[in-house]
Amino acid sequence: MTPRRILVVEDNPLNLKLVRDVLQFAGYDVIEAQSGEEGLRVAQQDPPDLVLMDLQLPGIDGTETLRRMREGSLGRDVPVVAVTAFAMAEDRERATLAGFDGFVEKPISVRELPGQVEAFMNRRAV
Amino acid sequence: MTGPSERSSRTTRITRDSSRQHQELRDVRHQWAASREILAALGRAADNPGEVLDTVLEYAARLCGAQAVQLFLVDGDVFRVERVSGETPEDYRTYLLDNPIARSRSSTVGRAAEDMCTNQIADVLSDAEYGRHDLQKLTGFRTLLSTPMILQDEVVGVLSMWRTDVKPFDDRERELLEEFAAQGAIALRLESRGAELGSKVAQLEALRDVGDAVGSSLDPDEVLDRIVSNAVRLTGTDGGSIMEYDESDDSFQVRAAFGSSPDLVEQLRAVTIRRDSTLVGRAALAHRPLEVPDLAQAELDPHLEILFRDGWRSVLAVPMLRGDKMVGVLVIRRRSTGPFPPDMTELLQTFASQSALAIVNARLFGELQTKTKELEIASQHKSDFLASMSHELRTPLNAVIGFSEVLLDRMFGEINERQDEYLHDILNSGRHLLSLLNEILDLSKVEAGQMVLEPSTFGVGSALDYSLTMVRERATQHAITITVKVADGVDTVVADELRFKQVVLNLLSNAVKFTPDGGSVSVRAYPDGTDLVVTVADTGIGVPPEDQERIFESFQQGRRGAPKEEGTGLGLTLSRRIVGLFGGRMWLESTPGVGSTFGFSIADVLERTDEVASPEHGGLPVVVLVDDDRASLDLLSAYLDGSPTQVMRVRDGFEALELVRKVLPAAVVLEIELPQLDGWEVLAALKADPSTVAIPVIIASAVDDRPRGLALGADEYLRKPISRDELVDALRHVGLGLESS
Repeated sequence: MTPRRILVVEDNPLNLKLVRDVLQFAGYDVIEAQSGEEGLRVAQQDPPDLVLMDLQLPGIDGTETLRRMREGSLGRDVPVVAVTAFAMAEDRERATLAGFDGFVEKPISVRELPGQVEAFMNRRAV
Repeated sequence: MTGPSERSSRTTRITRDSSRQHQELRDVRHQWAASREILAALGRAADNPGEVLDTVLEYAARLCGAQAVQLFLVDGDVFRVERVSGETPEDYRTYLLDNPIARSRSSTVGRAAEDMCTNQIADVLSDAEYGRHDLQKLTGFRTLLSTPMILQDEVVGVLSMWRTDVKPFDDRERELLEEFAAQGAIALRLESRGAELGSKVAQLEALRDVGDAVGSSLDPDEVLDRIVSNAVRLTGTDGGSIMEYDESDDSFQVRAAFGSSPDLVEQLRAVTIRRDSTLVGRAALAHRPLEVPDLAQAELDPHLEILFRDGWRSVLAVPMLRGDKMVGVLVIRRRSTGPFPPDMTELLQTFASQSALAIVNARLFGELQTKTKELEIASQHKSDFLASMSHELRTPLNAVIGFSEVLLDRMFGEINERQDEYLHDILNSGRHLLSLLNEILDLSKVEAGQMVLEPSTFGVGSALDYSLTMVRERATQHAITITVKVADGVDTVVADELRFKQVVLNLLSNAVKFTPDGGSVSVRAYPDGTDLVVTVADTGIGVPPEDQERIFESFQQGRRGAPKEEGTGLGLTLSRRIVGLFGGRMWLESTPGVGSTFGFSIADVLERTDEVASPEHGGLPVVVLVDDDRASLDLLSAYLDGSPTQVMRVRDGFEALELVRKVLPAAVVLEIELPQLDGWEVLAALKADPSTVAIPVIIASAVDDRPRGLALGADEYLRKPISRDELVDALRHVGLGLESS
């Protein structure tokens, strides 16, 4: 069975590298994008099994990127998970209202992230 | 970026400034309400000038916090006591009658008359010039305050009050006494000469109308309109205007006008009325009324020129003073020529003084509002800055924490012991910075009033257990025993669960942090009325008394010995603020060397355990004020302004019963003289009804029948006029602990 593919949209290169390492270590195939535009392009070319996207992005932000992904090739089947800042209740609320399938809090927990991602994928599959 | 402690002190200053502003705002409102009640009382006593004087004395004593007030009248070369307030000892009065006061420096009465202004002696025993020790011995008074009553530039009497303790009267009390003296002077005039200028009732009613306006409206233009129209109407003149003095360009501007065409007002607005070269300016400079009986014969300044061309023939300018400060000038005009009678001038001086009060109050109010707004904006900028800053800082921290974990988890292979140790150091430092950031952000939210609680129903026991699991590992490492006890009657509560846990966790981790190995920590939750109380006690090193308050300030860990682990120094500050949002309080009891108990309460989250229904409403205890007089209601409400109560007001007996039965308040403040159903009937009905029998009732009335009130079941009996302290004390006696401010 081929490893499942996760698109990570994150503008901070260090955090992008961290998430990539952790998810790769957990056995996922990781595609990287550093902006909403790049994320849209990648998702269009080769739809992933899950998208992990920061809410605050340069250019078009996470919410707008999500809207365009849903309208485009991604459709409604691929889960899109928001990465939100801890202690920002309004961010969580925004993420839910915008139609994200869930959120993980920043700073991400290296130990918990693979499990969280797995759960989102399975929930969608049911 | 500034250091955290510097930023925190700025935060504290902003908070302190804004609370001082609010205090000032409250003082202005109090004074306002008080002047208004006086005027209303004076209006009621209008038919009898003697009664007006008694009212003046009574109110002066109560509202200025004096033991006794005396009115002295000029009698040849001396001042003879004319009237005294209720509390003045009778033998003192008789003695004073036989031994009047000389017009000299040996008393405040003499000094006030000589200087024609208010005079205070903070302590007669340390005033070398003071010469009436015979009076001092008789009464034991220490602090004296006297103010002259002036009619037509002549001192006709002196209003004097005293305290038996050394406690100088403050500016507010001094201003109030001056206000009373002005009112008293008018009453004196009426009493001595009878009504020469229309009906005295009409005069006092007009004054009452003005007083109502001064008290009820924050809009100075409306107040000034009422003043000028009443002044014109009552003096039988044809028109008038109020000119406000503008210090910045040393000139006067029209603020209100009556009996003037729009065209005239337009012209008056356009002209610059300078202080040095106009009639208005000269009256202001001279501090006394000036008149021009015939404009055709006079040299005209630009202002008078306009009036003359508009058909006006005589003008009277009365300065509006507040103490020594020039506020403006009241101008009264007639279309006919002739001098203005002295009585008219005198009456207008009272109107001028009311106008001055209205303008000064309005200016003060406006200034305070502007400053409050500025502080709010500054505070908003600060919290915006912190929010974005904490986001910027959090992003790199994410990498610091995350990569340390990646390496510690051996994702990329084995590491040696020292590498493991250093990575733990990096990880812990990163986490420490992160919690500091989160707390700064939380604190700035609380201070900006932006922290919104999200209440839900949760079990107190399980919330405590949750917090416990967060510190259990550390406690076990140091052999610290932790016990949790939840009392009967504490089950679920409605509050913000996340914030509740945050506070408990903060206290718990502090307790574990500061308890030596082998010690114990115990957590208790129990009910206190409808409040939930949680305490966390430890057997730690304790907090010395001098640090017990300081410890709640930002970045103060107190001298609690070296903690096993560094804290952020913000936890307690934040916890206390969150508890404040819960409508509760946080405290500390500690004995150095024995241990500390931190406790906090959350207001009104439990069912009352006894049979009395919950008296709280929306988190604050409700006080129902029952009075048919709006001025009295305003004064009582003003007294409670800023205290942690919710005030509800009703104006007749039936409504009172209905409301009390519906909201079951924490206390009722009841007037006896009420329309429909009087206060005695209301009291009897409340005490006959099992659902309201336990609600404390405080009588606040002009009716003097304390025995009857107490016999019917009232808890406290206050006689009008009532001071703020009396009301607050009475409420405290019936169990409403209000902050004294």
